[in-house]
Amino acid sequence: MGGVAKAEVFWRSALQGIRHQPFPHAVAVLTLGIALFTLGLGRAGSLAVEHLLKSLGTEVQVTVWLRPEAPHTDVDVLSNSLRGRGFGVQLVTARAAVERLTRELGPSADALRGLASEALPPSLELQVPPAWRDPAALRQLADELQKEGAVTAVDWGEAAVERLGALARALRWGGFFAFAVLLCATVVVVSATLQLAIYARREEVEIQKLVGATDRFVRAPFLIEGLLQGVAGAALALVGLAAVLHWVAPELDTLFAFLRVPSPAAALWGIRSTLELLGVGAALGLLGSFLAVSRALRA
Amino acid sequence: MIQMFHVTKSYPGDPPVLTDVNLTVDKGEFVFLTGPSGAGKTTLLRLVFCDEKPTRGQILVGGRNVARIRAASVPYLRRNIGVVFQDFKLLPHRTVLDNVAFTLEVLGTPRSESRERVLRMLKLVGLQHKAESLPLKLSGGEQQRVVIARALVNDPTILLADEPTGNLDPGLTVEILDLLCEVNVRGTTVLVATHDATLLERYQKRVIRLERGRVVSDTAQAQTVRRTG
Repeated sequence: MGGVAKAEVFWRSALQGIRHQPFPHAVAVLTLGIALFTLGLGRAGSLAVEHLLKSLGTEVQVTVWLRPEAPHTDVDVLSNSLRGRGFGVQLVTARAAVERLTRELGPSADALRGLASEALPPSLELQVPPAWRDPAALRQLADELQKEGAVTAVDWGEAAVERLGALARALRWGGFFAFAVLLCATVVVVSATLQLAIYARREEVEIQKLVGATDRFVRAPFLIEGLLQGVAGAALALVGLAAVLHWVAPELDTLFAFLRVPSPAAALWGIRSTLELLGVGAALGLLGSFLAVSRALRA
Repeated sequence: MIQMFHVTKSYPGDPPVLTDVNLTVDKGEFVFLTGPSGAGKTTLLRLVFCDEKPTRGQILVGGRNVARIRAASVPYLRRNIGVVFQDFKLLPHRTVLDNVAFTLEVLGTPRSESRERVLRMLKLVGLQHKAESLPLKLSGGEQQRVVIARALVNDPTILLADEPTGNLDPGLTVEILDLLCEVNVRGTTVLVATHDATLLERYQKRVIRLERGRVVSDTAQAQTVRRTG
């Protein structure tokens, strides 16, 4: 029998099996759907946080405080060196610094009356390129700049960046752990559900083996059933996720408006995440059915 | 066709089910395997189609040593052996035609060829008019004939029948045995396990009697002794 004809036999047997026993399959699909929905929510959350971090990262600003008496040439050499490494560099003179402070204070600017026009030190304000937007890299940069003769201090918002980095790490590890737990639980439930389905068809399996079916022939339709369950579960999860995210997205826009960064709503879900979820669903369904039918064939 | 040499089968903790069984069944023979319940008839048949492995001894089926066969080779051996059970084992949701075609589906026979062979087999067992019926709508005798058709549709060299008439009334019993005899006349080696003594009387075939796992008599050997004696 050609491969196509065999595949037709297997698919027909699988669909017949589902048609004759819809309940255990519905249970497996629902279980997979709930597990994948939870996974999807976690994934969407992770994507949103990563997006936020990236966006906030564009706001990371490093301020390099300069000695007032530092020669212009030294400052120029330092600025050019930093530009060459991808940093945006803006020189804020002492006068400009006082003027900016006055503007920012607004009605409270009277407090600066009597302050010399160049009372604040000059500085270089750096826009950090993506490659440098993590605590270790920024710390390294700060240490490097500290050694420059023209530099008195470097301010890179260490505390905030560390906290954001820790949050991202926690979410990532938490996500892995939750995924691992969900994965095991889902595979166990799907496998147990499919064993029920196989048990209900034990006569058919027995006759197949009696008339000379190989284990592969017996296994194939059940694997297809598992695959279909996985994809159906993923589809169910996607419908649920679409509904929840449709509700959540406007709320996120409001919630994060104060950060003045692009809303994470746009990053919550995409084609890639959809395909990944379908792939995970199919894999879970296949794995569960493989375990179930292998156990049944050993018995 | 079937040879057993000093075959013993036992399960851990239990007395042996078969002890030192030696027998030979030639190609084209019809043999009754008889004895009281628990004598080992079913176990002997299961050893032949590799549902069990002997604890000791050798079994040759069609020249192959099935005592040493690899698990992966068992399905291929079974494609040459048809098996008929007392409890029919038909798939209730499939028609008679689909039940018989099941064997050919497993063997990879194309559907067009499969249908033709199944209908030919159903004609042999007298059920071509019931091809589209479901098993539950058939009588016990008809169901058993479907099982025989399924066992024979791929032209096996051996047919094993374990109490094929155990659930049937006398009239149907004769019907089924007549069919098995007809199958045997066409060249298939037939081995029938039964405790029904009336069948042994009626059909006058070779009889191997088992008691407590041992062969206590074999009419083929008795005839040989009488011929040479």
